[in-house]
Amino acid sequence: MKDVVISASRIKRELRILILSLLIAFGLNIYSIVKYKTELIEMLSQLHIVIILGFIIYAVVSIVFSGIRALIRKKMKHSEKL
Amino acid sequence: MSSVSWMKAFAGENGRNIAPSDRVRIGMVGVGSRGRALLLNLHAVENVNIVAVCDDYEPNYQQAIELTGGKAKAFYDYRKMLDLHDMDAVVVATPLHEHAHIVINFLKAGYHVFCEKSMARTMGDCKLMADAQRETGKILQIGHQRLFNPVYLAALERIQAGEIGQIVQIRAYWHRNNNWRRAVKDPALEHKLNWRLYNEYSGGLMTELAAHQLQVANWFLDKTPTRVMGSGGIVFWKDGREVYDHVALVYDYDDGIKCTYDAMIANAHYGLEEQIQGNKGTIEPEINRIFSETPPVAPGIRQLIHSIEKGIWDAIPIGGATWVPETAVPYRGELIAPRNTKDTYLQMVGFVKAVKNGIPYKNLLREGYHASIAALLGLEAIDTGKILNWPAENIMEKEV
Repeated sequence: MKDVVISASRIKRELRILILSLLIAFGLNIYSIVKYKTELIEMLSQLHIVIILGFIIYAVVSIVFSGIRALIRKKMKHSEKL
Repeated sequence: MSSVSWMKAFAGENGRNIAPSDRVRIGMVGVGSRGRALLLNLHAVENVNIVAVCDDYEPNYQQAIELTGGKAKAFYDYRKMLDLHDMDAVVVATPLHEHAHIVINFLKAGYHVFCEKSMARTMGDCKLMADAQRETGKILQIGHQRLFNPVYLAALERIQAGEIGQIVQIRAYWHRNNNWRRAVKDPALEHKLNWRLYNEYSGGLMTELAAHQLQVANWFLDKTPTRVMGSGGIVFWKDGREVYDHVALVYDYDDGIKCTYDAMIANAHYGLEEQIQGNKGTIEPEINRIFSETPPVAPGIRQLIHSIEKGIWDAIPIGGATWVPETAVPYRGELIAPRNTKDTYLQMVGFVKAVKNGIPYKNLLREGYHASIAALLGLEAIDTGKILNWPAENIMEKEV
């Protein structure tokens, strides 16, 4: 079984995506407070929803980016063979 | 919680000094399943001695002796208890048709009485019992434990405070799924053990179940119905019983408010409830919830997620229900009071306190009396197929 090495740069990249996802979720919370005219306290009271939403966005982004990277690598390998 | 007279007494507002060492001596007449439950609750009440037990069914008689550790005097015939000098009060938990003569005899013999609900098998007997209480001045408490339940008391306070606005309807129901039939080895005991199934001894669903909830309706509205109509039948349990296994009634009150009631014993999906419906809210005391007609708005983020989901799923044609809830989150109302299910115990505490004081609680018997009349009048309406007015002679005036 091969050792899996996760580089420091990879960790930094994933953390940046996660933080961005959480910020997007927080932004959506603020947007929904304005749109539906609910209480400002929801910025704190709905943090649990924001965190869950942030992780969902992170998961979706990760899956999409992985899919795109896999497609690009496949195309490059095909071009090299040619 | 102190708006009713019996709760004021609970709070010690009776103006009398009662020594903690005063013990109340109680006899039990009828120690079947309900009688045993009351006996066990009495064991848990401070300063109570069970001094006598009585049952004419041998297994119950033996169990009663066992439950009292052999310390209580045991009788087959309640009349032999009438001359006991070391007894203050009696708890009557016999089959319904026996209540009247037992209770009246004990009241006239000078004892205070707790009688399980309903009061009696006929309206005439209920009146005789109420008259005997008035003549003797003794305590007669009927077994409606919701009168002592903290959830119901808190619900009443919230209604009186206007939290649900004007009550516009009460809807009550009690649905069970069992046949009420007890196994009987000796056919000669069929009517004795399955008394609840026969009209001579029982009013069936009306006196065994409806009486509780009609008591709540009258109590919360602070009035008695003016008339009642109803229908009933034996829909499922066609096993030779005489009492209905399904009833449905409408009780009218003088301001147009209705209490709609139904009970059955062949489907338990909805359980039981008294839905007190006001223009500003609804109270459901059996589940200890109060609901506002203007529930709080769901948090913005949940509304956003819900509208995104709605946008996705509505666009996909899928066979089946297309109704989407109007609220993003289910509205569960709020609690009426901290849950307390010890109301049977609390009502016995209340009875014992009243006996110690020697003073009946104001208007407590009135609740039990009107509940019994409502149940029996409803049964008569079903039996005759007529709309029946509340008899004027069966209104007990409120004590001020």
